[in-house]
Amino acid sequence: MEEDDEEARALLEGGPNEAGRGAPAVSAVPGALPALCDPSRLAHRLLVLLLMCFLGFGSYFCYDNPAALQTQVKRDMQVNTTRFMLLYAWYSWPNVVLCFFGGFLIDRVFGIRWGTIIFSCFVCIGQVIFALGGIFNAFWLMEFGRFVFGIGGESLAVAQNTYAVSWFKGKELNLVFGLQLSMARIGSTVNMNLMGWLYSKVEASLGSAGHTTLGVTLMIGGITCILSLICALVLAYLDQRAERILHKAQGKTGEVIKLTDVKDFSLPLWLIFIICVCYYVAVFPFIGLGKVFFIEKFGFSSQAASAINSVVYVISAPMSPIFGFLVDKTGKNIIWVFCAVVTTLAAHVMLAFTLWNPWIAMCLLGLAYSLLACALWPMVAFVVPEHQLGTAYGFMQSIQNLGLAIISIIAGMILDTRGYLFLEVFFIACVSLSLLSVVLLYVVNRARGGNLNYSARQREEIKLSHAE
Amino acid sequence: MCCREGPRWGRGHCAPSPTLLLGLLLSAAPLGLLGEETRQVSLEVIPDWPGAPQNLLHIRAVGTNSTLHYVWSIMGPPAVLLVATNTPHSTLAVNWSCLLSPEPAGGLTVLPRGSVQFSSALVFTRLFEFDSTNTSEASAKPPGKPYPPYSLAEFSWNNITDSLDPATLSATFRGHPIHDPTGAFANGSLAFRVQAFPSSSRPAQAPRLLHSADTCQLEVALVGACPRGNRSLFGLEIVTLGQGPECPSVQEQHSIDDEYAPAVFQLDQLVWGSLPSGFMQWRPVAFSQRQRGRDSALPCQASPVCLTLEYPLPQSPIVRAFFGSQTNFCAFNLTFGAPTGPGYWDEHYLSWSMLLGVGTPPVDSLSPLILGIMAVALGAPGLMLLAGGVVLLLGHKQCSEYQPIN
Repeated sequence: MEEDDEEARALLEGGPNEAGRGAPAVSAVPGALPALCDPSRLAHRLLVLLLMCFLGFGSYFCYDNPAALQTQVKRDMQVNTTRFMLLYAWYSWPNVVLCFFGGFLIDRVFGIRWGTIIFSCFVCIGQVIFALGGIFNAFWLMEFGRFVFGIGGESLAVAQNTYAVSWFKGKELNLVFGLQLSMARIGSTVNMNLMGWLYSKVEASLGSAGHTTLGVTLMIGGITCILSLICALVLAYLDQRAERILHKAQGKTGEVIKLTDVKDFSLPLWLIFIICVCYYVAVFPFIGLGKVFFIEKFGFSSQAASAINSVVYVISAPMSPIFGFLVDKTGKNIIWVFCAVVTTLAAHVMLAFTLWNPWIAMCLLGLAYSLLACALWPMVAFVVPEHQLGTAYGFMQSIQNLGLAIISIIAGMILDTRGYLFLEVFFIACVSLSLLSVVLLYVVNRARGGNLNYSARQREEIKLSHAE
Repeated sequence: MCCREGPRWGRGHCAPSPTLLLGLLLSAAPLGLLGEETRQVSLEVIPDWPGAPQNLLHIRAVGTNSTLHYVWSIMGPPAVLLVATNTPHSTLAVNWSCLLSPEPAGGLTVLPRGSVQFSSALVFTRLFEFDSTNTSEASAKPPGKPYPPYSLAEFSWNNITDSLDPATLSATFRGHPIHDPTGAFANGSLAFRVQAFPSSSRPAQAPRLLHSADTCQLEVALVGACPRGNRSLFGLEIVTLGQGPECPSVQEQHSIDDEYAPAVFQLDQLVWGSLPSGFMQWRPVAFSQRQRGRDSALPCQASPVCLTLEYPLPQSPIVRAFFGSQTNFCAFNLTFGAPTGPGYWDEHYLSWSMLLGVGTPPVDSLSPLILGIMAVALGAPGLMLLAGGVVLLLGHKQCSEYQPIN
């Protein structure tokens, strides 16, 4: 095992910040291949990039299928909001555990290629079961489908990142990550705006609405998962081919998870976890339940409600790279996180207590969400020694999923009994808790002389002084 | 005006002296008298003139210086008369022989006549049924192919005395068509449950309309009747009095608060004349199950209120008895449900509630729980920021004091 690691390290071309992640060893290839087929050429890498982007498309498209078809699911399956939100909870449950083991499974058990194919299969099968649940009018089957889908979903994202590192390390890696994230958001957006229309078309051709229509619609949505599976297969072939031609190693996540590290986590790290959980539970479950909110409170049509509900993702697609650049250039992460959380709080307050055009609040939410992602996640790397980074990120994702699963159920229950205003107040309370943690983090960091809120220049100076 | 003789049916204390009445009229603005915290509410069935199977339900709500009279009747179509007076001593007088005659005008009066500040009436004339099978558009008008409507004037109703409950101040009129060739109402009925309140509160069951002592609640429930189609939508025609040549309009109030009726952000009301006057208030929601949750909520759409000159309406004797025949009637329809979503077909059940009252319509305010959570949620980080700022400022000062040593 350790030898493997050594080997991987030897192949690295520098860039100490990503230590342990596999990288392609670029060497000149004898013989002339056309640019598109030559693994060492840009054109070929772009082809691979395209495949990578579509690899995740299916799972991101299908993840938010329930949100896009909220009214239809609840009507056709005759479930209340609490049970509807279980569809999201069942997605999150397996990931509470899998976040720790996804990297391990890819590195040590399946390998990146088989891992990707297997996780893609899980996504496909999960979506098919989900759709069959609709066709057979069995809600438990739909829940089971979401569970299987969840097993594949998050781990597939890990696999996707590993492929990206393996092919683009030292080249266009940040751009690739940005593009992959944008593609994920595009998947969600397309889903939000397409599924309602698709449902009405299926309804027109089948003659009536009902659980069969829902099942067929979801089954058609599952085509995107098949597409992703095909991408996984082609990628596996190309990756193997590149290995043969370029003698490059199979990509590895390089994540070392040691659960015992949890006891060594510092107070700032726990505060970051709290910020993360309290923030995301006020965003994702809200989007899951948002469509009906915009229809009922603001009188939007179904189409317009889908559009506004997806605007958070639409904004985050182009803004994530921009904010990433901004945060990189300025530093001061805590201040940025503070701004993001306050903006989110303002957006939720607007949605809850005013009848102002919700586009304002949702655009603010979209901006804040993108900014938070860029400023919050890198902070973990500042407060955790490098060998614990895998554990810290795994843990963060795990409790985020745990939070999402629990809050999804609670949100559904609140909505059924107390309505949207109370739900919004609940989300405001969550964001407020997150804000409280940000302030506390600032104080703790300040008191301990931590490095979380350094500007980019201070970070540079410290790096230099360490180098000396 | 017909017969003035015959037995007069009255209640309450003796009529107030003219000077007292004059004093009251001068000392208070006409409707400023209404809007009381609590009222002494009594429900009484006014027995009929011997031989006729009719009766009236009289709800009398007495405040410190005003009285509200609600007279419910199922003579002809179900109807309610709403009369507000500025004295706690006003009484209802019924002249049965006049009321049951073909010209009932004057058969029903509230005494003393000068004390009447506001009066109006609602008549529930017809129950509509639509076949929505081939209608995909939710807001289509009409919402489907109409079946022949049920005329509520041709319903037979139960004896109101049996369902009178003085503890909850409620009573139920339950009826079915007299002629029911298809047997649609063999196991079904249409019920009008009337409830009055001595003080302000909110019922536990949806749609949880906030009521006050100045209001009275009506719950219409259609239970067990066989629909004539697989996807039948039902509607109710409501007739009211016009104000001169104009009809009152339905106002849709949008609110941010859906705590008491999840996902319903609207309150509809029909107000006669300028506020404060009489009003009818409802949430645009009906329910298709006894367990009135969000999953059984149906949208309820109101049509514009129009003068009913074009077609004959079933006449309500009590309305004509009180207002005479020289009145304009305005009608509007409420339609419950949409072609898709939950509907009457789920459990053969449909219920809808409204408030009828005088004064300013009750307005929902944010619940203490929401205000409390918001105060903590916004206050705690604010205080923390403030405290943090102060601590950091003080810290700075200390630092700067030490600077020379450094």
